[in-house]
Amino acid sequence: MSSDANTSHDLVGMLGKLIRRPEFGTLIGTVVVYVFFAYLGGKIFLGAPGWSAFLTMAAEVGIIALPVGLLMIAGELDISVGAVVPAAALTTALVSGHYDLPTWYGVFAGLAVGVMVGFINGQLVTRTSIPSLIITIGTMFGAMGLTLGFTVMIAGSTGVFMTPDPSAKALLGSSINFMFRATIFWWIGFAAIVYYFLHISPWGNWVFALGGDRESARNAGIPVSRVTVGLYMLSGFAAAFVGVSQVLTFGSAQVAAGQAFIFNSIMCAVIGGVLLTGGSGSVIGIVLGTLTFAIVNQGIFFSGIDPNYGSIIIGALLLIAVMSNDTFRALALSYATKKKEG
Amino acid sequence: MRDAFANFLRLPGAGAALSLIGILAFFVIFGSVDLVQLMGAASWVNFAANLGIVAIPVGLLMIAGELDISIGAMIPAGSMTVAIVSGHYELPIIFGMIAALGLGVIVGTINGLLTIRTTVPSLIITLGTLVAMQGIVLTASKVLTGAASVAVTAPEWAKVIFGSLLGASHQVIIVWWVIIAVIFWFVVHKQRFGNWLFAMGGDRDSARNAGIPVDRMTITLFILSATAATFVGMCQAILFNSAQVSGGMGIIFNVIVSVVVGGTLLTGGFGSVIGIFVGTLTFAIVNQGIYFTQIDRNWSNLIIGATLLIAVGMNESFRSLAMSMVARPKKPA
Repeated sequence: MSSDANTSHDLVGMLGKLIRRPEFGTLIGTVVVYVFFAYLGGKIFLGAPGWSAFLTMAAEVGIIALPVGLLMIAGELDISVGAVVPAAALTTALVSGHYDLPTWYGVFAGLAVGVMVGFINGQLVTRTSIPSLIITIGTMFGAMGLTLGFTVMIAGSTGVFMTPDPSAKALLGSSINFMFRATIFWWIGFAAIVYYFLHISPWGNWVFALGGDRESARNAGIPVSRVTVGLYMLSGFAAAFVGVSQVLTFGSAQVAAGQAFIFNSIMCAVIGGVLLTGGSGSVIGIVLGTLTFAIVNQGIFFSGIDPNYGSIIIGALLLIAVMSNDTFRALALSYATKKKEG
Repeated sequence: MRDAFANFLRLPGAGAALSLIGILAFFVIFGSVDLVQLMGAASWVNFAANLGIVAIPVGLLMIAGELDISIGAMIPAGSMTVAIVSGHYELPIIFGMIAALGLGVIVGTINGLLTIRTTVPSLIITLGTLVAMQGIVLTASKVLTGAASVAVTAPEWAKVIFGSLLGASHQVIIVWWVIIAVIFWFVVHKQRFGNWLFAMGGDRDSARNAGIPVDRMTITLFILSATAATFVGMCQAILFNSAQVSGGMGIIFNVIVSVVVGGTLLTGGFGSVIGIFVGTLTFAIVNQGIYFTQIDRNWSNLIIGATLLIAVGMNESFRSLAMSMVARPKKPA
């Protein structure tokens, strides 16, 4: 009898532990969405074409969603990623395509643009009391204007072509079987690094502390400004990386590209259980959120449903995700309190 | 003199007014713009009116500490609703108009209810309704009409009131913008509603404890912003005799930039209708006025970004300056 009670208590304890994990709701969402589209899409969606479609999309959004999610955990937003993607792509194309310098010069220049925009964002956010949403909208417009202005001034058109070196192309712009692009593996790599940074290394706690209470974090000796600037440089780098990998894959760069990344990256993080107000979230959650987002976005094409329904599903999913995260969190907190009382 | 200056700076619209003057000066000095020609031009006023009608309620939401980005989907939703109801199904235009405005009320209510019932920030909630409404509009137009563009012909009276051109090229929506701005100015700055609004943005819990119907206010504000957006969409459909599903995400940022340049504090509790009005004018002149200058229009986004950051920085320092000027005389006593 008592052992029975113990087992059930352990079970309840384990269940409570599982539910209390921030990524639990997201995992359910990912599974439900995958099963739903697997049922409708059948063998093609279950096979390589389906995986290739949603992984390709997930990788591009996901590489940006990781640092954007970190920023959100730290209580900040980054809108400028939408302008950094084309800015980096065009920098690479201009350096290595228009001026015909070696591809690696272009790659470094493109990545440097992203890091620089991130540095400016970070400096403005830490040195003024202006909310980061406004600052990064400002730098987004600024980067968009500079990209368009310089591209037209230098190349005379809004699109630039380039032929990448084989070595650079192999590393950043190739694909296995014409299906699985190199960015997918980069995404996995980045996710592992960010996972280590946030959840294993001591610096991860700093990020959470920033999102919880900035003043207390500062008083506890955390270099708040340096961490914030670093996170913005990371998101600038990630956006630039996506831009550079796009130009190496397709051999051309367009001025008007990348706006979609702004809200998509935020949505992936939020579906993944990241709290916009900061202090809560996990890398596994962000990765699962990105997968969920990409499965809906691409799965719809395999399902025979009108693709326009896709955004209804994503909107609904987003709302359900935040509601359930809200509920789960309340449940988890109340569960934890109850235990203390007993 | 110092008091008068301090009083001016303490106005939330002060930064906006200076931004407007600064932009005009910039265009005159570096773009050798013909001010008479610019003032006579319709393009930027039309642009400002379409933006401004949405910017005012969004700005009020921001004063109350909330954000509404679903307006980006509600403008095309409004025009599409009019076109589908009165164009495709050939019902009288009044039904199309009621449907469009009704849709705004419904979506606004959903935004408001979700905001007050959950702890989720309104940015995320309205991001959800934004994406969902985009899908609904696309699907509805495709399923119901089979096309991405729907024609609608409004009768004479509706054309005159909502979709005519004054003079050669000024849209009648400019008049609506001014009327709406005056009404909002009166309600916000001369009525109890306004005090409640600023109290909510300052401290929501204290406002609730002081007996302010915070929840009802929040829902009302979301209804106002969504309905304003469908109203603009409705006027566009009536003016252009057609509606397209292509809804620009750009309008979201344009509205936020206008409101913030107008001296509204994103975190709530500070702002004014006049400021938002002037901020919208400033944004429209940067965005459209550049065509009247010798500056290459490709740089316009760069100027917008710089204007935003400078204006916000200015607003920020004015606010602290104004605060310190108020505080100082008290010290000797």
